[in-house]
Parts: sequence; structure tokens; C-alpha cells
Amino acid sequence: MSCEGYRDKLVDALASGEGSLGREVAGHLLLCAECKKFYEAQVHLFGAIDSGVRAMVDETVPLSLLPRVRARVAEADTPPRAWRLTWGFAAAAIAAALIVSVGLLMWKPDDANKFPDRSRVVAQDVRSAAAAMPKQLPQPIATAPKHAAANARLGRVPKETAPASEVLVLAEERAAFARFVSDLPEVGDVAVAYTRPAMDVDDEAVELALLQINELEVKPLESSNWQ
Amino acid sequence: MRELVLIQPGRVLEGPSERESESSRAHREFEERLAECGPLAFRVAYGVLRHAADAEDVAQEALLKAYRNFGRLREPARFRGWLVRIAFRMALDRWRSVKRREKRETEGEHPEHRAAGPTAEELAVSSEFQARLGRAMEELPEKFRLVLLLSAIQGYTLEEVSEMLGIPMGTVKSRLFFARKQLAEKLR
Repeated sequence: MSCEGYRDKLVDALASGEGSLGREVAGHLLLCAECKKFYEAQVHLFGAIDSGVRAMVDETVPLSLLPRVRARVAEADTPPRAWRLTWGFAAAAIAAALIVSVGLLMWKPDDANKFPDRSRVVAQDVRSAAAAMPKQLPQPIATAPKHAAANARLGRVPKETAPASEVLVLAEERAAFARFVSDLPEVGDVAVAYTRPAMDVDDEAVELALLQINELEVKPLESSNWQ
Repeated sequence: MRELVLIQPGRVLEGPSERESESSRAHREFEERLAECGPLAFRVAYGVLRHAADAEDVAQEALLKAYRNFGRLREPARFRGWLVRIAFRMALDRWRSVKRREKRETEGEHPEHRAAGPTAEELAVSSEFQARLGRAMEELPEKFRLVLLLSAIQGYTLEEVSEMLGIPMGTVKSRLFFARKQLAEKLR
């Protein structure tokens, strides 16, 4: 075997980490100074490689490593919980909204009869007011026919008889309006309306007296010395 | 009256206290693994990057990833192997991005702005050899490199490396042999 062959075997033995050379190779090293020198150099090289690789991985572990990992783990644990909580609230809100909408859709106005409310009371008041209307009509006020006629033309109403609100209806429409008031809708706030007969207007002719002027006495001026 | 209880394997955890205890048990187990494997992940990353801060970042990321996958990594040997591989791969990715950045920066530099020469440390023979060794290792195939790094970490035997990586002992020895031989050829 040539020196090259022995050297390959030397390198293989060192690379495998076994360290023990075969008897044949060991014998060659005793005879060949060059190969012995090569062998010593390779032992040194492999030793340097081993110690160099160990130095690469034997760096002191930073003390901050584990606490930082623990902190990151705690952070990683927190967001999913918050996320789940948020979605829980959202789901509850959606469910509540659905229940309310379904309830509104299923609700019928007839059901409201079981529960009298304010609007119904108001409607009853309107009907009773309409029924009692003729009894509450104000008595004609003793006013001078002339003034009454003038007031009626001007649309004035005497203060004593003026209600809070007043609807003036034509005489021929009075009965129809009374029916309308009695049939006022039951739901909702409505204005209480009163019907009253239009005031009778006395269209008497007004007598106008002729203008009378007293006799005029003409006296001469005192200092009339112009003659 | 007798009460019948149906016990199903792999059933869903029922009560919140049961879930809580399961969670705390997982935390405790992970804490045990963390104390043992945290330094290992750092050393593997440092073996690739040779930069403490970068190696710490990589180890952190790898450990966090391991925590997220802890459900299927309960077995200690499996956890360690998975962590080592993920730390190694993440370190390689980091190393490649660092190299790309350095290359871009060097290309952008004017010749007069370059460092005048080697630093005092670089002049030292041991540091020079270490630098050459580092470059030679970068050229090794990844599977050789990982075995070489793991076998160099103090406290881990070849059997443990074999168990960690899930490969036969003969494969570990063979990879180690070729790794050392290639390094020697490059450094000779």
C-alpha cells in the first residue's frame, strides 16, 4: 500500500473518532517519517475541529432566555381568551336582538286590549266628551243684538264662553261631525274636540238716525272797525 | 339505587375545573421541558449563528412554537427532537437573511469605507481558525451539521442524539464521520 493509502486510513480512523489505528497502519508510521508527521498534523487538526465546534455551542446561555420565554408564553395564552370573550358577548348581543325582533314581529295590536294604556283612556275620554256635548253647550249670553251681530261678523267669541279649543262646523254638517267625533280612533293621542252650534246671527236692519246739527249762531267780531 | 357511569376514552373535558387542571398540568409539563431544553435550543441556534442575541431570539421563537404544539409533543424525547430541529431550521433561516443583508450592505459600500483590516481578535490564530471553521461548517450539508453540533454539546451522548433525531445510531456515527472528514479537508 502506498503512503497515500495509509494516509486515507489515518484520516478515516481520526474522523470516526475511534483513535485506534490498525496494526498495519501503526507499523507504517514507525517506518515513514513523512506519514508520521502527517498523522501528527491530522491529530492536531481533528483536535482543533472538535474543540472549535464545542466552543461554538458552549456559549453561556443568557439568563434572560427563560423569563422571556415564560413572558411570551403568558402573552400567547391571553389573546385567545379575550378573543373568545369578545365573541361570546357578540353572540349574546345578536341572540338578544333576534329575540326582540321576533317578539316585535309576533306582537299583535289586539293583544293590547288586555293591557289598557294611556292612549285608550284618552280615547274613552273623547267619546264620553262627545256624548255629553249637548248638555255642556253654553247658554246664549245676553248681549245686545247689535253687538252680538257685530262680534259674530268679526269672529269674536265672548270671553266667558270661549273653551280651550273650538271647532266651528256648518249647521248642516253638525250631525256628521258629531258622528265623526264619536268614532274617533281608539289608538293614539287625539285632540279633544268640542262641537257647539254656531251662534245665531240676528241680521236685523240697523236704523241709522239722520245727522242733526244744532242751529249755528254767527256773531260779528268785536274789533270790526274796518267799516 | 346503583348509578351507572359511562366512561369514554378521549372524551371531551366536561367541567371548567377539569379543563383548568388539564391546562395547569400542561403548563407544568412545559415548564419542566423548558428548563431542560431551553439551553439546548439556544446552543443549537448559537452553533449556527455564532451571535448570542440572535441565537436567543431564535431559541425564544422555537420554544414558543413548541409551546403552541405542546399537545402533540408531550413525550420528552419527541419534544426535544422537534425543538432541536425547529431551532436549527429557524437559525439557518436567520443566518441566511443576515448573510443576504450583509451582502447588500457590502455591495453598497465604497471601497474607502470598508474596514481597514482585521481586528485584534481576528489576528489571533485561534480566532482565525475559528472563523475558518465557521465558514467550513456553513458549507456542510445540514444533516451533517446538525449532528456535529448536537454531538458537541456537553452532556449529550451519541445515543441521545440518535434518540433525539429519531435516526439509527449507525446513521449518527456515519454523519458525524463525514462531517469531520469534510471539515478536515477544507481546513487542511
